[in-house]
Amino acid sequence: MHELWQASQHAMVLLFTGNRDLWEIIGISFSVSLKAIVIATPAAFAAAFVLAYTRFRGRGVVMSIMNTSLSLPAVVVGLTLYLLLSRSGPFGDLRLLFTQTAMTIGQVILAFPLVFVMSHSAIQSGQRAAWETALTLGASPIRAVLTVLYEVRFGLIAAVIAGFGRIVAEVGSSMMVGGNIAHFTRNIPTAIALETSKGEFAQGIALGFVLLVLAFGLNIGLSLMQRKGGVAA
Amino acid sequence: MKPMLSLTGIHKRFGARCILDNVDVHLAPGQCQVLTGRNGAGKTTLLKIIAGLERPEAAQVAIDGNERGWRRARSALRRDVVYLHQYAYMFDASVEYNVGYGLRAARLPPSQRRARVAEALERIDLLHLAGANARTLSGGERQRVALARAWALQPRVMLLDEPTANMDRESREQTWFLLRRLKSDELCVVVATHDGHAIATLPDIELHLDNGNLFPHAVDTHSHRPTPGPVATGSAAGPRLEERG
Repeated sequence: MHELWQASQHAMVLLFTGNRDLWEIIGISFSVSLKAIVIATPAAFAAAFVLAYTRFRGRGVVMSIMNTSLSLPAVVVGLTLYLLLSRSGPFGDLRLLFTQTAMTIGQVILAFPLVFVMSHSAIQSGQRAAWETALTLGASPIRAVLTVLYEVRFGLIAAVIAGFGRIVAEVGSSMMVGGNIAHFTRNIPTAIALETSKGEFAQGIALGFVLLVLAFGLNIGLSLMQRKGGVAA
Repeated sequence: MKPMLSLTGIHKRFGARCILDNVDVHLAPGQCQVLTGRNGAGKTTLLKIIAGLERPEAAQVAIDGNERGWRRARSALRRDVVYLHQYAYMFDASVEYNVGYGLRAARLPPSQRRARVAEALERIDLLHLAGANARTLSGGERQRVALARAWALQPRVMLLDEPTANMDRESREQTWFLLRRLKSDELCVVVATHDGHAIATLPDIELHLDNGNLFPHAVDTHSHRPTPGPVATGSAAGPRLEERG
């Protein structure tokens, strides 16, 4: 218990004295996860809109695949990407393995289903009358889509927050395709795993604290958005 | 009176159920048509097809006498025709934004847009609510804003789907009063309604939709009572207006 207390004190010192290594890890984590969510979000919104507003053969199958992908283990995504990006894999020539780009790709794959399913639910819960009203008032289809998305904006923001929360804390994919290389691909979850295995708890606790604060902030944001969405509807 | 918009041979099915079976609609400027029919008869579907919001299985569209394919007709219909929902949908923004939405989409310069919005709101006596969030309005006020929003676009055809459903008597009368006030020689209005007052006072033509077919009744303009028109299965046409002179 005493050891844990000492490690925690050391962690706070590292965090609040601006330890360079620690803040570099935090920076890499945020950079990779923000890129991933920025890439996944427009694609997920577009796909969610198409599925909510159109009827086509195989629509149910796509929804089932997306719902199943919600529980896709990060380590399986990492393994699949590893096989695809390794030297002997079909995309080996791209030399992406153990790079931040590979980590971003993995996180896009993990974020997409969650953002898709939540935004699909938000769009479908909105009234179809919004779409028809926009069109009958002379809006172009693109403007009408943007209008509908704006009408359900709180649900969409909640989807993005939840997606970001999922990927910023995942360890399986980042570890496998990032390789946990110091100053390059080491992010918060992989650093925590490494420091813990070495018995260096201070940095692990400091990084864990950052993740906890982030999770707390995201949850507050999520409930605020969901409450606002409920009021707006 | 020469129709500006004709949709003929409209077919629409939902699964195995035939909603509209070879229906013809002719709309002329300055005309008011009332569409009646039991719930589920297909009134909303017909209005949405006329507005270019619902695609029929088959239909020939002629605008000002020029026949067009559905794809080209659809964009023209969305430009010339405004459809008003039974429960007016308000965007989550101010009344002013709502009324100006279509004008913004039409890229009207801001000064002209503001002037048109103010004029439209003045016509419905809601200028004082311009800055209020449209979602906070009552059902009657929403319907009035929807009317102003449509009127501001100066469409050629306005389609109202049960505009007074679930309204109290005062709001109903106010809606019909406003509709009469917004009517003009250029505008054709089609109203789907069960409201006896509207049926008795508004229409030049009363149309009844039943079992996928549209039955016309010409209306005596003096008494505004429907007179038994020539019942033709599956078609109701503007030329019948000429028949009654």
